[in-house]
Amino acid sequence: MIDIILKAIKNNSIEKYLIEEKVTKSAELFFVKKELDMRRMKNVAHYTVTVFRDFEENDIKYRGSSIVNIVPEMDEDMIEKAISEAYYAAQFVKNKYYELIKGEKKEMKVMPSSFENYTLNEACNAFVEALYKEDVRKESFINSAEFFVNKNVVRIINSEGIDVSYTRYNANGEFVVQCIEPQDVELYQNFEYTDLDTEALSRQVREALDTVCARANAKTAPKKGEYTVILSGKNLSQLFEYYAARTSVGYIYAGISDLKPGDNVQREDASGEKVNVTLKSTIPYSLEGIEMKDVEIVQEGIVKNIYGNARISYYLGVEPTGMPDAVSVDNGTVTFEEMKKEPYLYVVNFSDFSVNPLTGFFGGEIRLGYLFDGENVTPVTGGSISGNFIELQNNLVFSKERYKDSKYEGPFAVRIKNVQVAGE
Amino acid sequence: MKVEKSVLLEKKRPLLKRLLSILTDSYEYVSILACDTVGKGYSISKSGIVVQEQQLFTDKGYVVKVYDGESYGEYSFNNITENNIDEIKEAVSESLMPWKDSLREELSVKKYKKMTEEKISFEKSTEYEKDPSEMGDEAIIDALSAIRQNTLDKESKLIDAAVSFSYQKYHKLFLSDNKELEQNVMWSTAALSARSAKGQEVKSAFSTASGIKGAEVIDEIREKIDEVIEKVNLLLISEPMIQGEYDCICAPDVTGMIVHEAFGHGVEMDMFVKDRALAKQYIGEYVASPLVTMHDGASAYTQTATYFFDDEGTLAHDTVIIEKGILKQGICDAQAGMALGFEPTGNGRRQSTERKAYTRMTNTYFEEGTDKVEDMIASIEYGFLLENASSGMEDPKNWGIQCLVDCAREIKDGKFTGRVFSPIVLTGYVPDLLKSITMMSDAKELSGSGMCGKGYKEWVKVSDGGPYIKARIRLG
Repeated sequence: MIDIILKAIKNNSIEKYLIEEKVTKSAELFFVKKELDMRRMKNVAHYTVTVFRDFEENDIKYRGSSIVNIVPEMDEDMIEKAISEAYYAAQFVKNKYYELIKGEKKEMKVMPSSFENYTLNEACNAFVEALYKEDVRKESFINSAEFFVNKNVVRIINSEGIDVSYTRYNANGEFVVQCIEPQDVELYQNFEYTDLDTEALSRQVREALDTVCARANAKTAPKKGEYTVILSGKNLSQLFEYYAARTSVGYIYAGISDLKPGDNVQREDASGEKVNVTLKSTIPYSLEGIEMKDVEIVQEGIVKNIYGNARISYYLGVEPTGMPDAVSVDNGTVTFEEMKKEPYLYVVNFSDFSVNPLTGFFGGEIRLGYLFDGENVTPVTGGSISGNFIELQNNLVFSKERYKDSKYEGPFAVRIKNVQVAGE
Repeated sequence: MKVEKSVLLEKKRPLLKRLLSILTDSYEYVSILACDTVGKGYSISKSGIVVQEQQLFTDKGYVVKVYDGESYGEYSFNNITENNIDEIKEAVSESLMPWKDSLREELSVKKYKKMTEEKISFEKSTEYEKDPSEMGDEAIIDALSAIRQNTLDKESKLIDAAVSFSYQKYHKLFLSDNKELEQNVMWSTAALSARSAKGQEVKSAFSTASGIKGAEVIDEIREKIDEVIEKVNLLLISEPMIQGEYDCICAPDVTGMIVHEAFGHGVEMDMFVKDRALAKQYIGEYVASPLVTMHDGASAYTQTATYFFDDEGTLAHDTVIIEKGILKQGICDAQAGMALGFEPTGNGRRQSTERKAYTRMTNTYFEEGTDKVEDMIASIEYGFLLENASSGMEDPKNWGIQCLVDCAREIKDGKFTGRVFSPIVLTGYVPDLLKSITMMSDAKELSGSGMCGKGYKEWVKVSDGGPYIKARIRLG
């Protein structure tokens, strides 16, 4: 297929191009309670072709581009027409000149994974086994679950010599746990693994079954006011992605962020812990064929590097890094137990916790929290927290304990002071 | 003008019919959904110009659904030729369908009846005024560039203005023993956003235009430049919200978010099958003020989620969900319908042929009332006008509300004070909010600029809206 695309590119006299080939096979199972509701399999291929067109106006050099999607179902005439139309469109895309990523042909990287030893159906069955073997309790149970096991073979080539490829397996999905007494409540959970780590899924299920029982016993919302809030686990990836957004060349070039290496992200007189953030990638090459490496973006509260794709990095005069998709944060100075000695509202589960990197606003509705008033711990549900991370990042405390999932690795818990709570 | 037929689907139709026939020899029920979809997007901002076929909106593929006498399985692929038709059959019969037998012992297979279908065949198309592909890339980019420049010229405080235009032209062919349905549909959306800085905070406001239309939405967004500038300037003087429960007037976009996120997800009946929706227990009960009548349906209103049949071959409906405050029924896909003994309502939708069909909303709205907006504002002793819905999250199980709104204008003694608060989190219990509705304006508006996910995935195009409503809401 790539040969047909290259032929169409040549026939259209296109000199600069980028092609991403992605072949995906998947096995998918959908359960309601303990019954299989649907089984699915997928076998597809996609080709994303970017064509570039150089031109000049008033002695200024431009490099326009346009992206078109090709599938095997298209015949040679259709492919040639699609690429010709994309090349035509590129002459109106007046983006300042920039350089494409240069490289060479490399051996395919097979990301090490124990999935390799199994068929996709067998791997999917193993995750089903891991989840349902925990579904043995009386008070809480699995309401429903979805499993997706994927094998992706990706190849990226461009006109500048890049020819890289990799194979990546992953399993992802979601499940809902339910507890009926003393009140009928549920909790949503999602998961992603790049290895056949069935024990990790079993552990997540056990914790979820515990948590949903706690939520069933939570009846009241916290009173409105200002609280010291503790957040943990998955919610923290949202929080720390604030730094990833604000140090991206996309945000900086657009004027949304004015950060540059050497700037403080926290106030110099910040009373809390200094932030250390490194970006990591779950894939070996970016969509442009850049070999992905860790990027340390914030060190001791100071911007160390900015990062991004080829075009905007070229405009800002920095080395392109690609777009890493996972965040790693250094752990803190206190244990989780020490963190909980002062009164707090520990929110374990939100309906949806979000952070707006433009405004710094964060918030979410509380599905389950624990309120410690200095004497007693009470489970709470309802109401919401809100605050502005631009201000509140100056008074953070990180736990010594760590947490890891596919997109976040860092302190298990973070304590934030002066958070507004809308409650009873 | 009508959206034309797909050349690709016409070419592949005989092969697809052959595959249907081959599989029908082995299985009691077989259907095939074939898609030829192009989604193209243009965006212009300080960061540059992007022209691309958008992957989310581009789908040239097929999904086969087969029934083995007790359960259903699906196989997705995007290449069918004379040479691989046997491979497709083999994948279905040797790998997909027998898979159920290899599961752990205490798990069972949910048993379904064979899908029943009446014999029907048609080909239908939506209409549009301006074909984006005829307008051409140059004219579209020029028009969008002019809108952006005009916005920047009108307000020097802006750090950027971004304008975008997207359209999806889709062709779907549904084949089964009794059905041969074909539809050709085009929707378009345009958006304009403006950004200003307030210290380290960047305030952003936007407006959109959308519909079962073509490039004419570019003309519509051009008319909204002043509105967007006014919105972003208001956000620059905004203060943090003071928590509390207030009398509020919700603008149609905020009404739409409440309709869709707070209530609509709770009446998706695949959630009834899982016992994940509180609404199941409230059929026939008052869940809202008697002023409230709520619809959903691909044929209920002409907006971006309008179509003639859904992704399971069920014809489009107009479903009355709440009638004068009483919950009448939910919306349903075919498989959930079989599980519940309920007629499907044409709400079985897929992100693409590569994804499963779920019960999904389409065009969802509250009917208009009889009040004038100015009378509604005059009736507020102390409260807010809520505008610019930004995001929301469903909670069908517990009817908890989580909606985010960008702008609350303070009203005192029936008049705007000039104070503005932002951002705002709406929380509370859905029926409490809906029962507190005391006024509804005499005109409704729907917007189809957004996408809807099921949880955090499965994105489909939807529209929602309604009239201005007056309700008591907890804000934070």
